Amino acid sequence: MATEEYGSDVGPHGGGVSGRISDWVNDHIRTVLLGPSLIALFIVFIYPAVMLLWLSLLNTRGFGETFEPAYNYGRIFTDPTFWNAVENTLVYSFGSLFVSVGAGLVIALALNKLTADRLRNTYTTLILLSWAVPLSIVGVTWRWMFNGQLGVVNRVLLDLGLLSSTFSWLTTSSTAMGVIILADSWSRIPFAAIVLLAGLQSIPQEMYDAAKVDGATSFQTFRNVTLPYLRPSFFVAGLITWMFAFRAFAIPFSTTGGGPGGATETLAIYIHRFGIQLLDYGFASAVAVFLVAVTLVVAAGYVYFILERMEEIEV
Amino acid sequence: MAGADLTNERYRRRQRVWDAVESPYVVHLVLFLAVLFIVTPLVWMLLTSLKTRQGVLAMTYLPLEPTLDAYSRALIDRGFWRAVVNSVIVASASTVIVMVLGTPAGYVFSRYRFRFDNAVFVFVLFTRLFPPIGLVTPYYRIVSTFGLLNTKTGIVIANVYLWLPLVIYIMRNFFITIPTALDEAARVDGCTKVQAFRHVVFPVVLPGFAAGTILTFLYSWREFLFAFTVSTDLQSMTIPVATFLFVGDAGIDWGAMAAAAVVSVIPSALVVIFFNRYIVVGLTGGMKG
Repeated sequence: MATEEYGSDVGPHGGGVSGRISDWVNDHIRTVLLGPSLIALFIVFIYPAVMLLWLSLLNTRGFGETFEPAYNYGRIFTDPTFWNAVENTLVYSFGSLFVSVGAGLVIALALNKLTADRLRNTYTTLILLSWAVPLSIVGVTWRWMFNGQLGVVNRVLLDLGLLSSTFSWLTTSSTAMGVIILADSWSRIPFAAIVLLAGLQSIPQEMYDAAKVDGATSFQTFRNVTLPYLRPSFFVAGLITWMFAFRAFAIPFSTTGGGPGGATETLAIYIHRFGIQLLDYGFASAVAVFLVAVTLVVAAGYVYFILERMEEIEV
Repeated sequence: MAGADLTNERYRRRQRVWDAVESPYVVHLVLFLAVLFIVTPLVWMLLTSLKTRQGVLAMTYLPLEPTLDAYSRALIDRGFWRAVVNSVIVASASTVIVMVLGTPAGYVFSRYRFRFDNAVFVFVLFTRLFPPIGLVTPYYRIVSTFGLLNTKTGIVIANVYLWLPLVIYIMRNFFITIPTALDEAARVDGCTKVQAFRHVVFPVVLPGFAAGTILTFLYSWREFLFAFTVSTDLQSMTIPVATFLFVGDAGIDWGAMAAAAVVSVIPSALVVIFFNRYIVVGLTGGMKG
């Protein structure tokens, strides 16, 4: 910091101490503006990430911790519940991807057909509501709706005559997975719809005019103009939805807690079970490293796409 | 090509189906069903929260004797009001820190070339794409080492990790849309680089800044994983955690849980209703390069 002894100096941006400081700031603008963020990311990200790698090399089963680099990684592939978690995670993430991007596309196409801004705005707001709901609250809400005794879903199905007695949705393996996929999609549909709508709106009107001049039918226009132009948005919406569902914790955890009997235990719940509940944080860290590796392979593709191919999106 | 296809019977049939699909009735039907799907769970929570304990067990659709009893059970008897206060503090503090740090960083990435600039930017994206669940275990240890378990500070630090990279990325994308000629003009007029950023470029990017602020606030408001890991008592617990803990009880008080859920959704729902334009801009702004 500048002290009084600089008081007599006069910089080009005014006199005195502040001139000195502002000169220095001006010369080091990148450090001054970017530095704090990088320091913060170093503390809140690098430090725990390095610790994750270190913990994964420790045997923490039982009392104390010993350095046994291969122990946890060897355990991963022999633990039978690990493969169960992997399978659940794949079913969950792809299920959520197809439902949210599929529904998102239908909604985006419908919103794009509306010519009145105000109407479209109203619909968008109503659809965005589910995005704003905290994920654990999405979980408890769906848990309540699909409750075996008091759930409104059973009530409606009984009243419609589609069920003859109450059904335990969340304690039956297959339906429990269906419910959490639906809950997950419910909270992701707005995002997919908005990204795809933005994609639809970025298609130049001239392309449609040209298609019209060429005598293309509306179906041909959809297939040959809309869909190809929409591909980058599909890519972004799909990848993000999949990646976030792949690591999802809050919704499966608060809806079913991983049950019944591990039928909805995703990798994130698995990691949480070992790391926080069983205090076997060495093993949990090794599994986390595995999950990170998988997502980063996908993320690398995403970063590449963003850095190299983005011009296509802004056609 | 188009002409040949038109003679094809299959194509004409498809076209007829397509014309029906594109009609305004279908468009409105689709949107109506979508809104119904989105809003039903929320309405069901609201209705449940207005029922008496007996009303919940009776499984009626509507609350026969609407009462705010569930709200008083949740907010006062269970001390849920503390979680509301905690959430407001945590979300506000996280938002201020993240925006103050992230906005200038995004500006630098949009304007300046420097050694390893691409590598540093990829690092920022990388932290964003890194699965947070991976950091929960080490984070738990670090937070307990520094005595930050069951503190709001511990949750705020987690929010900085979660949303700072996102904000840097979004703000960079907004700054990129502003021509550098603006900075240059300000410099010619005698501004320092910081002044050019603060008084000339920043005001232009204000809508983007608003979008970033609103997104960060909502994301911090709804964060569950880290808040759940860090805090187990009502002194520091945020709303998503406190609401979830209602479920853990032996005999769940569904009415009180519904009331808590409604309380937690109201602020974010209001933000969505009044600032939806910024949210849409923010969500898609985060996508563009």
